[in-house]
Amino acid sequence: MIRFESVSKVYDGIAVVDDVSLTLERGTITAVVGTSGSGKSTLLRMVNRLVEPTAGRVLLDGTDTASVPAADLRRRIGYVIQDHGLFPHWTAARNIATVPGLLGWPRAAIDARVRELMLMLQLDPDVIGPRFPHELSGGQAQRVGVARALAARPEVLLMDEPFGALDPVIRQQAQTDLRKLQQQLGTTVMLVTHDMAEAIRLGDRIAVMRAGRIDQFAPPAEIIAAPATGFVADLLGEGDRAFRYLSLQPAARLARPGAADGPVLPADATMADALAEMIWSGRDRLPVAGPDGHPAGVCTRDDLIRAGRPG
Amino acid sequence: MTGALIGRLVLLAGVLGFILAPDSFVPLLRPFAPDGMPVIYDRAGFGNLTLWHLGLVVAAIVPSALLAILLAVLVTRPRGAEFLPLSRALVGFGQTFPPVAVLALAVPVVGFGAWPTLIALFLYGLLPIFENALAGLVGVPASVALAADGMGMTPRQKLWQVELPLALPLVVEGIRISAVIAISTAAIGSTVAARSLGEVIIAGLNANNLSFVVQGGLLTAGLAVLVYDGLGLVVAAIRRRPR
Repeated sequence: MIRFESVSKVYDGIAVVDDVSLTLERGTITAVVGTSGSGKSTLLRMVNRLVEPTAGRVLLDGTDTASVPAADLRRRIGYVIQDHGLFPHWTAARNIATVPGLLGWPRAAIDARVRELMLMLQLDPDVIGPRFPHELSGGQAQRVGVARALAARPEVLLMDEPFGALDPVIRQQAQTDLRKLQQQLGTTVMLVTHDMAEAIRLGDRIAVMRAGRIDQFAPPAEIIAAPATGFVADLLGEGDRAFRYLSLQPAARLARPGAADGPVLPADATMADALAEMIWSGRDRLPVAGPDGHPAGVCTRDDLIRAGRPG
Repeated sequence: MTGALIGRLVLLAGVLGFILAPDSFVPLLRPFAPDGMPVIYDRAGFGNLTLWHLGLVVAAIVPSALLAILLAVLVTRPRGAEFLPLSRALVGFGQTFPPVAVLALAVPVVGFGAWPTLIALFLYGLLPIFENALAGLVGVPASVALAADGMGMTPRQKLWQVELPLALPLVVEGIRISAVIAISTAAIGSTVAARSLGEVIIAGLNANNLSFVVQGGLLTAGLAVLVYDGLGLVVAAIRRRPR
């Protein structure tokens, strides 16, 4: 659990982070969204003390981070940055081994851990392991960066625009992979992004930041249904709100008994997927698959449209 | 590539050949020597002089490199940043001072011999190595430096494991420049009685024997080219194979 208690950071008389209090629950993903200069990266860096708060304190599982030597603290916290920041003179494998090496793990344990992580992130240890960062694709480098951050099994993972350097197709895959990984490991993730769509896709809760303050801190559905300020609404983009809302809910929830023609909607499809499929195939009812993959019911256009309006 | 390689080998063979068997070059050099004068310098062996020459260079460049790298490291630490302009000025001053002037000023203090030359070469070596080490350390990408901190490296670990290895090619490049300057400057040291290939040139000038001047000059130039080339290969090897 990460807890910010009235945290401020002042540079030259200007509060970049202004009296922020926030609690990030253990085992969840919290996305911090804001425009550039909103103080979101500064807030993130106060967790691993790359930035020291001017006032207030940051607690990690109840311990004041200021009471732990910075290097020790950082080795316990995973950190992923935008252009991956891989050490260019080290191979991918050695990059991943960074923190275990600093912690003095035995050689064999490090090697085993590096292998395990590379397999977990779909990187072939024998092919990618010996490569240098400049020999990796953007997606591979990003995954090596995540592997490096996770190497010493941190309970907390800080991600600063981790997908910012990826092209849209790879980005979406990387986001899906991160979500799966986080569910598998139960890591507490704090993710900073300027992209509201990314925050909605990944965040269990979203903190919207503006000018050093939190405008709203709520689950994605609530942010979409009831933006607290005009700024939050602007970030959402009025036109997309209904689709964003639909994209948060599984289509299977709307399934009612019955049958329909045409391809079956997969069980994990969202309501937004269902609507898109209807528009594209010109149908107004779709068969929806149950957990076993067989059609379990139908989803109708009227139900979908009703579901896209919160409240 | 092959042409350059052949050129290097020919030069190396020529320099070694002259050092080991200078007499075999008599037919080539005879036209430069006045009648009745010796063609090949014979008051000291060329092997001996070459070793002295290179010894001066190494003895001056090694401490010069150490100090320059140390300075560059210090002024790139957060606490040393304010000394950056000062150290730049000091090191630059060492470079603008003419070597002959350094020799002249050093002789009354340390006497004749190798010391004035060592001092001049040492001062002359600082700037290129300092500036290159500085460029190398400052050139570490911000995201890489941030990652080093974020992973929990101590400042010392960051320096040894990340910053210095990344700056190394540029540092060696600086040493390469300094070494070449030092090889040519060391020759001047013989004006204040340092043993070096310069004494052949000076003897030739004193005796009006052009042959001595040519052999001393060409040997010094050959050494400079070979060392420059050799360190160039080292730089290329470091760049090709990151550590």
